[in-house]
Amino acid sequence: MIETRQLSRTYRRGDGTPVTALRDITLTIADNEFVVVRGSSGSGKSSLLNILGCLDTPTSGSYLLGGEDVSHYSEDQRSRVRSRRIGFVFQSFNLLPRTTALENVEVPALYADAPPDRGRALSLLERVGLGSRAHHFVSELSGGEQQRVAIARALMNGPPLLLADEPTGNLDSTVGDSIMDLLTELHAEGRTIVLVTHDEHVASYARREIVIRDGVVASDRPQDASRRRA
Amino acid sequence: MKLAPTIGLALRSLSRNKLRSFFMMLGVIIGIAALTALASVGEATRQETLRQFKRMIGTFDTLTVRPGAGSTRGMPALNSVEPTLRFEDAPAVAAVAGVQRVAMVQQAFDLDVIHRDRSTTPGLFGVSVEWADIRGESVVLGENLTEEDQRSLARVVVLGEDVRETLFPGEDPLGKVVRIADVPFQVKGVFASRGAGPGGASLDNMVVIPVTTASRRLFNRDYLTNLVVQIEDPDASDAIAERVRVALRERHRLVPPVPDDFTVTSPRASLERITEVGSTLGRVMNGVAWIATLIGGVVIMALMLVGVSERRREIGVRRAVGATRGDILKQFLVEAVVISGVGGLIGIVLGAGGATVAALLQKLPPAYLWSTIGLAVVLSFVVGLVFGLQPAWRAAKVDPIEALRS
Repeated sequence: MIETRQLSRTYRRGDGTPVTALRDITLTIADNEFVVVRGSSGSGKSSLLNILGCLDTPTSGSYLLGGEDVSHYSEDQRSRVRSRRIGFVFQSFNLLPRTTALENVEVPALYADAPPDRGRALSLLERVGLGSRAHHFVSELSGGEQQRVAIARALMNGPPLLLADEPTGNLDSTVGDSIMDLLTELHAEGRTIVLVTHDEHVASYARREIVIRDGVVASDRPQDASRRRA
Repeated sequence: MKLAPTIGLALRSLSRNKLRSFFMMLGVIIGIAALTALASVGEATRQETLRQFKRMIGTFDTLTVRPGAGSTRGMPALNSVEPTLRFEDAPAVAAVAGVQRVAMVQQAFDLDVIHRDRSTTPGLFGVSVEWADIRGESVVLGENLTEEDQRSLARVVVLGEDVRETLFPGEDPLGKVVRIADVPFQVKGVFASRGAGPGGASLDNMVVIPVTTASRRLFNRDYLTNLVVQIEDPDASDAIAERVRVALRERHRLVPPVPDDFTVTSPRASLERITEVGSTLGRVMNGVAWIATLIGGVVIMALMLVGVSERRREIGVRRAVGATRGDILKQFLVEAVVISGVGGLIGIVLGAGGATVAALLQKLPPAYLWSTIGLAVVLSFVVGLVFGLQPAWRAAKVDPIEALRS
């Protein structure tokens, strides 16, 4: 699913001095893996997620997504890749305000040149356990419910890859666990999930843990069954 | 992303914040309403002026020949015109190709008409028999003037309704005698009322006598104040006017460089000139309406720019789930056009409604200048397009990574 070779990302500060966020990242993530990327703040894990999510391009190195080299894709090409192949789940949910749950779930379909499919959006809301709240406004939903709406939205265009950035960071632990259970189910249904977190408990849901430190892969190992929850 | 869902998106986005959307529209609403109202009120007034002139002269398929060069303002009177237009000019003009018939007129506005102890000073028209026909005058009481009256220099008069009302209130005027400048005339008939003419003045405040009688027995003048020339084809009035001019110059034996000693005008042409120009105040108000519309565009641009920075996160989300920069540009541009367009449509409804009320208050039939209303529709959409471009461009340039960073 994901293959990076010597991926580097350098930013330029305001005064022109270069800052290296990622250096020579070489990774392979197979289809239907559930991978957690851990690292402290400033480690480069967000930069990695941006590139894996086709929001950003590497300064050097290559990134193959499903066998397709997307490292030098233009803005519009990357928009198309995000639309069809990647679902995003954010820490702060990022739902559109003053909008119903259903409308939020439908948003990605607008940009996929697909005919509007209200039925699919409704069934996705049912899938995440919010069938009865479809017509509620975002402001009427709890944090956990909002994150479920966001997950349903990420699934709208049927992407094989889900990228989750601290999906439980704004939730209390019980609600967070239920979100992690949902992601685990989605993984069991065949999706590839890459989850970025600094939370060890959340990380324990994944089958494989990649630790990023100072822009390089510090460790990459399968989680042993004793640490795994699922 | 296609246009129809983009418009749906814009409508939903605008309905989410109705008050703000209303304020964004306000400038355009005011500007377009003013444009529409001014044009519609102007059109209603113009049509009323046309109707008044039409009532006065009866028909527009005429030319007027007056003595003297250059245009004179208002109605010429016999004691103030040059003595260059003669009775014999009438048959010469009638012989010109395209001319149907010609009426001779001697008119004055300062003669008292007296019956017993009642007196009035109406317009006095000494006319040939063609005159009443050309103007479409009809007699409701008694009879009109005849060729026999004209031949015999009969001292007979037909009264306008106002004069009958003043001199013979509740009385049968037929056969009674009125004195015009001390000459006795017998009342032969009364004209049907014509109502108000230009400026609201009554068209019924007149008396009509044979032109021959006026010339020999009243004024002792053998020249005319004007000829009313009915033409066959109103669309050819310029060409016919030129032929009349040539014929009269020949009759008056005028050789270049001697200028014309008469003037041929087309009442329809001069009327159109009068009504087209419009007042200075109207032009100023029209300019203000345009400026208001443009200010409305600037308001839309300013509030859209604020909206773009408030909606950075929304833009980031849309980009993350697959929107291209073009999709975002289109979304914001369509929002601006929808705001401005809806504002314009509201403005047109308000403006046309206001103009209708204004017309009805003045007891005029309302009229709408469709060309201006069409222009207002186009203008409101163009304003949205032009002033929405900058905010839409800024929205499209939002970096999704930065916008999503929490």
